[in-house]
Amino acid sequence: MSNTISQEQSSSLHWQKVSPWAVLYFVVYFSVRFVKDGLLNLLPMLVVFVTQVENKLFWAQVAGAIAIVTLLIYSILYYINFKFCISDDHEILLNKGVFKKERLTLKFSRVQNVNIAEPFYFTPVNLVNCIFDAAGSVTQEAVLPGVTKAYAQQMRKQIFAFKAQQQPDEQTPSSEHFEAENSLRISNKEIAKFGLMSNMAILAMAAIAPFINVLVDFLEQQIIAKVEGFYQQELGLLASAATFAMITLIALLVLTAVMLSVGMSLIRFYNFELYFKGQKFKRIAGLLERHQLSMSMDKVQSIVIKQNLMGRLLKRFTVECLQASSGGIAAGVAAKKNKQTLVLPVLNSEQVDSVCQWIYPWFNSKKLQFNGAEPALLYKNLSFYALIPSAIVLLGCYLGDFNAWLSLGVLLILAGLVTLAYQRYGYYLHEDNGRFYMVVRKGMIGVHYRVFELYKAQSARSISTYFMRRAGLKSLYIQLASGFAFMPYIKQQDADYIIDFTLYQAESTQRNWM
Amino acid sequence: MFDNQQVMDLPKHSEIQLNPLADKALLHVQLNWLAFYIPFCAVLFAVCYFNEAFANKAQTYLLIGVPILILLSMLYNALSIKLQGFALRNHDIAFKKGVIWQQITILPLARVQHMEIHQGPIERKLKLASLKLFSAGGVSADLQISGLTHEQCKNIRQFVQNYRQDDTPAQVELANE
Repeated sequence: MSNTISQEQSSSLHWQKVSPWAVLYFVVYFSVRFVKDGLLNLLPMLVVFVTQVENKLFWAQVAGAIAIVTLLIYSILYYINFKFCISDDHEILLNKGVFKKERLTLKFSRVQNVNIAEPFYFTPVNLVNCIFDAAGSVTQEAVLPGVTKAYAQQMRKQIFAFKAQQQPDEQTPSSEHFEAENSLRISNKEIAKFGLMSNMAILAMAAIAPFINVLVDFLEQQIIAKVEGFYQQELGLLASAATFAMITLIALLVLTAVMLSVGMSLIRFYNFELYFKGQKFKRIAGLLERHQLSMSMDKVQSIVIKQNLMGRLLKRFTVECLQASSGGIAAGVAAKKNKQTLVLPVLNSEQVDSVCQWIYPWFNSKKLQFNGAEPALLYKNLSFYALIPSAIVLLGCYLGDFNAWLSLGVLLILAGLVTLAYQRYGYYLHEDNGRFYMVVRKGMIGVHYRVFELYKAQSARSISTYFMRRAGLKSLYIQLASGFAFMPYIKQQDADYIIDFTLYQAESTQRNWM
Repeated sequence: MFDNQQVMDLPKHSEIQLNPLADKALLHVQLNWLAFYIPFCAVLFAVCYFNEAFANKAQTYLLIGVPILILLSMLYNALSIKLQGFALRNHDIAFKKGVIWQQITILPLARVQHMEIHQGPIERKLKLASLKLFSAGGVSADLQISGLTHEQCKNIRQFVQNYRQDDTPAQVELANE
C-alpha cells in the first residue's frame, strides 16, 4: 500500500486516512462549491454592501480574510474527519463531514467506473484523486483525494476484478495494461474550435446576468464615453461617434465571450487523448486537472453526433457517448457535469466515422439510407410555423403602417427553416451480427444523430391526431436511458412495426442493458 | 442495412385489447375539475361584487361563458376517460390516452426501475388510486395511469415486482380482472 496513506485501526474496520495534501483538494472543492452554490445566495448581502457600506475596500478585505480563514479551518476539519475503509464485504465506506457527520457506503458492484484525476496542485507531489462513479447518481459519487496513482490503479483493479467475478460475462478493464487497439489525439488548436462551437460563452454570459445592470452602467461611464471621445477627436466623426462606440463595445463583449469560451474548452479538454480497447474507452484530458475517464461500451445507452451552425462552418462534429441517467433532466445534466458522459469535442467527418466504427463496425455516415418523414409534416409545419405567423405579421404591417413586403420576407425565412427541419428528419435501421440498431436524425441548420441499439429502449410510444390517423400516419417516440429518439409523421405500419420490434428486442434480449 | 422486415411474426401492440378504467374514474376527474371551478367561480363572483364597473361590463358574458366552459370541460373529461385504456401483457404494460393527440405507450416490465401508488383525498373516498411506473432516463413517470381501483394498482405492482424476464408465465388474467 502507498506510503502516503497513513493507517489507523478503529473498531473492527480498517479505517485509513488520505495524505495531508488532500487539504488542498478540500480547499479547492469548497471554494468551487462556494462560488457555484453560495454566491448567488449572498447576492442580497452584496447589494446591501454596494449600496449602503461606505468604506468598501476595508470591509471587503475584512470579509475576504474571514472567508479565507473559515475556508481553511473548515477544510482542515474536513480532512481530519475524512476517513475511508475497504470492508471485507467489498464496500467502500467513507466517513466525512464537519457539522453533519456522514457515512457513505458504496458497494463494489455498484461502481460503474473508477476514474483517476490529476489536478495541477497534486502534480509536484505525484498524487491523484480516485473517483468512484456510481450509476447516474452524483450524491453517490465517492472521491478519495490525494492518493498515489499506484494505489488508485490498485483500487480500480480490485473493484473490476470483483465485478468480473460477479459477472463473468462482462469485459473487465485493466488500466495498467491498457494497450489500446485504437487511439485518437485531438490537438489543442482543434480543442479551441470547440470553444467557438460550444455554448460555453452563453453560459458565461448567463453567469454574469445578475450583474448586467451594474456592468452596463460601468461600461457606459468608463468606456463608451472615452471611446466616443476618441472617435470624435481622432476621426472627426461627430455624428456617428456614439454609434461607433456602441458597435466597438458590442464587438469587444462578443470577443471576450468567445475568448472565455475557448479558454474554458482548453481547460476542460487540453491535450485530449482517447484510447479504445476491448469495448472500452479511456480518455485523458484537462489543463488544471488531468481527468482520466474510462467507460465500457456496454454502459453506453446512445451515441449522439451533433453539429451546430458554427460546426458546419468549421466542418467539425461533437460526439457524446451517454450513460444511463435515472431521475430525469436534472440527473442527466448532473451526469454530464459529473463527467460520466464521454465527450469527443471536435472531430471531422472521417474521425467521426472512424471512432464510431470502433464501436459499431458497420457505421458509415455516408452510407446511412435514411427514411424521411412524410410530406404531411411539411404541409402542417408550413401552415402552423410559416403561414400563420406571416399572416399575423401582415396584419401587423397593415395596422402599424409598415411595408407589407416585410411579411413576405418573414414567410420566406420561416418556410425555409421549416423545410430544412423537415428534410433533416430521418431514421435508419440496421442489422449487424444479430444485433439491431437505429439511427435517428434531426436538426434544422445543424444536424443531430442519435445511434442506439434497439434492445436498450426503455419504452416506446406512438402519437397520432385524427388527421394523421386518416392519412395513415403516426409519430414515433422511443425513450432511452439517456434521452429519447423521436421520429414524426411516418407511415402507420412502419411506426407500429418499429414499436413492436423494439419491444421484442427489449423484452427478449437477455443481455444486460445497463 | 436492416432487411428482415417480414421474417418474424411479432406480437402487435395495435391489437392489444385494452381494459377501461374503473367505473368511478370519470366521477373522480369531474370532482377534481369541480375543485378547480368552485374557487374560480368564487373569485369571479368576488371581483364582480367589489368592482361594479367590471360587473356591469362582464357579468352577462360570464353568466353565459362560465357554464359553457364547465359543460365543455365535463364533456371533454367524459370523452378523455372513454378513450383511455390499459393492458398488462406477459412482458409489458400498455396505456392509451389522449383526445386530440392519441398516445399509446408500452413499457417493458424488465425496464421498470420503480413504481409509486398515489391516493389523493378524493381518490381515497372513491377507493381509486394512480399508478406511476418509472424507467431510467425519463423526465418524470414513463407511465402514469389514474383512475384505477386501489386493488388493481396493488395487483399490477405485485405482478411487476414478481416479473422475471426469462419467465413466460400466463399471468395475463390480471388484465382481465
